[in-house]
Amino acid sequence: MPDKLQTALDRSAFLFLDGAMGTELQKRGLQLGQKHELAAFFMPDTLTAIHADYAAAGADILIANTFGANPKKLAGTGYTLEETVAASLACARAAAEKTGALVALDIGPLGELLAPAGTLAFEDACAQFAQIVKAGAAGADLVFIETMTDLYELKAALLAAKENCRLPVFASMSFEARGRTFTGCTVESFAVTAAGLGADAVGINCSLGPAEILPFAKRLCRSVPAGLPVFVKPNAGLPNPDGSYDLTPQKFAEEMKDFAAIGVSMLGGCCGTGPESIRLLRQAYRGLVPAQKVPVRRSALCTPVRFVEVEGITVVGERINPTGKKRLQQALRAGDMAYACAQAVQQAEAGAEVLDVNAGLPGIDEAATLERLVKELQAVTDLPLQLDSSDPAALSRALRVYNGKPIVNSVNGEQKVLDAILPLCKKYGAAVVGLTLDENGIPKTAAGRVAVARRIVEAANRAGIPNEDIYIDCLTLTASAEQAAAGETLAALAACKRELGVRTVLGVSNISFGLPCRGYLNTAFLTMAMQAGLDLAIMNPNTPEMMAAVRAYRVLTCQDAQSAAYIAAYAGMQVQSQAVPVPAAAPAPARPGAETPAPDPLYDAVRKGLKAEAKTAAAAALAAGQAPLDLVNASLIPALDAVGEGFEKGTVFLPQLLQAATAAQSAFEAIKAALARSGAPSAGKGRIVLATVKGDIHDIGKNIVRVVLENYGYDVLDLGRDVAPEAVVDAVRRTGAPLVGLSALMTTTVPSMQATIGALRAAGLDCKVMVGGAVLTPAYAEQIGADFYARDAKASADIAKQVLGG
Amino acid sequence: MQLSLPQTIDRATLLRYLGAAGWQPDAATDALLQKAGALVLGAATPRGVWRTLPLSVLEGEAIGSDLARHLAGCDSVTFLAVTLGAEVDALLRRLEAQDIALAAAADAAASVLIESAADALEGRVRAALPAGRYLTGRYAPGYGDCPLALNDTLCLALDTVRGAGLAVTPEHLLAPRKSTTAVLGGADAPVTGARAGCAHCLLQTTCAYRKRGTTCAG
Repeated sequence: MPDKLQTALDRSAFLFLDGAMGTELQKRGLQLGQKHELAAFFMPDTLTAIHADYAAAGADILIANTFGANPKKLAGTGYTLEETVAASLACARAAAEKTGALVALDIGPLGELLAPAGTLAFEDACAQFAQIVKAGAAGADLVFIETMTDLYELKAALLAAKENCRLPVFASMSFEARGRTFTGCTVESFAVTAAGLGADAVGINCSLGPAEILPFAKRLCRSVPAGLPVFVKPNAGLPNPDGSYDLTPQKFAEEMKDFAAIGVSMLGGCCGTGPESIRLLRQAYRGLVPAQKVPVRRSALCTPVRFVEVEGITVVGERINPTGKKRLQQALRAGDMAYACAQAVQQAEAGAEVLDVNAGLPGIDEAATLERLVKELQAVTDLPLQLDSSDPAALSRALRVYNGKPIVNSVNGEQKVLDAILPLCKKYGAAVVGLTLDENGIPKTAAGRVAVARRIVEAANRAGIPNEDIYIDCLTLTASAEQAAAGETLAALAACKRELGVRTVLGVSNISFGLPCRGYLNTAFLTMAMQAGLDLAIMNPNTPEMMAAVRAYRVLTCQDAQSAAYIAAYAGMQVQSQAVPVPAAAPAPARPGAETPAPDPLYDAVRKGLKAEAKTAAAAALAAGQAPLDLVNASLIPALDAVGEGFEKGTVFLPQLLQAATAAQSAFEAIKAALARSGAPSAGKGRIVLATVKGDIHDIGKNIVRVVLENYGYDVLDLGRDVAPEAVVDAVRRTGAPLVGLSALMTTTVPSMQATIGALRAAGLDCKVMVGGAVLTPAYAEQIGADFYARDAKASADIAKQVLGG
Repeated sequence: MQLSLPQTIDRATLLRYLGAAGWQPDAATDALLQKAGALVLGAATPRGVWRTLPLSVLEGEAIGSDLARHLAGCDSVTFLAVTLGAEVDALLRRLEAQDIALAAAADAAASVLIESAADALEGRVRAALPAGRYLTGRYAPGYGDCPLALNDTLCLALDTVRGAGLAVTPEHLLAPRKSTTAVLGGADAPVTGARAGCAHCLLQTTCAYRKRGTTCAG
């Protein structure tokens, strides 16, 4: 390894990066309309001279002009990615040879947004970055990923670099003045994710000047391990209206001096800086050595926008786990992710801070389902996920596509489990749960469980996972079966915290299995566990008394300053819960005939669009013994029809129609749960497959249609948006759905709607297709081969009735 | 550059986007629209970029006859692009999984906000206009017979990925979803441009606005 690279990685001296490339190229003759990334072809001498000037100014690392050398930017230029990268690196290398500077393969954003914001799949982004890395690795000393604003894209680039070359990889993001990137990523989420994925140095570049970046660089230094180098590459201040920047090279170097004391060890410049900025910067740092970094050792999990520090009790929502949950089982078997997504949002609203995700269900492909769940869930929630599986293949796929730092649930004391799963956690920078059991089962005593925990901690440490990322689960046993075990669990938990210096986790609700009024036991056990030092409580956040115990505990242990969170949750409320006898099943009341109209609270609630009332009314009717399907046919559908007619006449407006749909939906959840409990597969009105077609990301119309069709009792399989024709064909083949609904909003995506219809016809599937979307018309629908044009959601329900009956 | 947010979402425009122009909402809907507006305002980080270039940058570009008419008599074009940011998209996805009525209201509120953000940026562009120069109104790719593909050229020229976190998909859609782009013509003499009108619109026979005797232009 070159000495300079060694210095860069061991932080023994300050190293200097170069300054801007784009602004220098423009200064030296780049014409409007000429692409920066092709400078190595049409102005190679100028490009080499810029690098040489930076080297002469004292830059130790020359960043090659490959920032925009990616498939999107090079398309149509006549140059391949490989020749562009090679030619650009050659210019930097020629300049570097004179001074012994290092050459970096520069990697910038691909110019497309990754799904879910855009349509670029994570795997495709990885593949594009891999192509760049392979093209440049041989000609470079290090890989420099910079100006990233999407943590997911940064992850794709980092993985591609780590997997396709052996060079050190530097990773840098650009932050706005609010301390977040364009996509909302925080400094801390960037820090722990990039460090966890094995970046060899992390930094901040572009967007702001030295003074604005300074506080973010401090946070970055505190958030990565002491040995991991941190660099900055600020702009020459803020842009002026004419496109220039407000700091002179002298002033830039002056402001940069503040980084010397905070632990940064490499410095350079971005937009608006030039060779003179670097020369003066180097001069300003003469005689200085990098300060020691003093990182905060903290247990953290994150998504880009949410950094969860596990300090004190933290609630992990347990609802996305099919074990014992028939409704979720049905949904996962059908390939319907919308139900799990709704559960995620609901748990977040109830106070969950992390969500457990489990796809272990006999008869389904766990690895594929877990991966898909992770992708879908992170599109609708910003809570970190706990990836719950013991299957290394499922974990590997889920870890790969997770955006941020997750926690894996779980390993145990069995060596083969540790060997299979810990390296995955290390590679993807995940925290890990260790269950205190091994091939001999669960030790009876606390001491036995602590011994297993110790083995797990040692193995994790050996795999490179620090204690703050290890969460030991001392296992909740059922009190009805093993009453004395509760005490052992809590004693083991306290000992693990005390003796091993790790975090702890428990699945709380298991304590009460088989006993009545489980909430009482769960709450008492949770409280005891919190007192014993529990960090992560895996529980149902929708249980009010358990969330109340958590919030009360935070007040009593001074974690909730001034009881602010407690007051926010409970001000203006009163407690009403108490155990009441379970009512005996009442005989189903006769349905009121037309001649004797009786009050129908569900019908009224849906017509008026009252969500809570509709849910209560449905639950009451079900508790009174009314058959779920009767409720749908006698109350829900008539109410929806009445609102729909009003909408057609113009007496009901869209917001009212949708509020009625939402009210019906909340009632329907109670009905579906009752159907699932009774073992009925569904409301049984027939299946419909919905999708927003490939290339289109505008799907609110399709989502409205889904809610309305579900309210009419149809089983809707919603494939989401940007759905490939093959996926629609597969779904129809698998489900035998007689009706498919496709949506496209833009003129440019209607061809993919036509392609989807063509694929369905070519596959010989006997289904009708209805289409909708802003740019469609009845004539256009016919022209592309659709059977029906659905003007709006109401029309789609009418079409469904025509095709499927109901 | 970051653009400032209005205090509230314009109610009349919001109702128009929800197909309920002129309606006096009931109390429940009023509360829904309030909530949706507050959520969108909380999640939005509007940013815009703009740049004036010689008209020749559009040479060889298929821009359609409507935009060509709009730019008649101009010698420069000003491109602008505005986005509410990825966090609004994330909010809308979350709401769609939670409450479709609230989601639709928030979606419409975001559409109102993106227009007001574009107005704000256009205001800055006009304020920076040299004396003796004049601009047409905004013309957005995708209207009339102007292809959406113009978004590629426009966003590349503005480097919207770097300047605003705004990208174009392979199908020429803007991502994040709540974004907009526009072309304004510039000239030494007063120019107003010509609206796309309905002549080349795909929806000319089915348009809900036209049925009510108005157009989508307001």
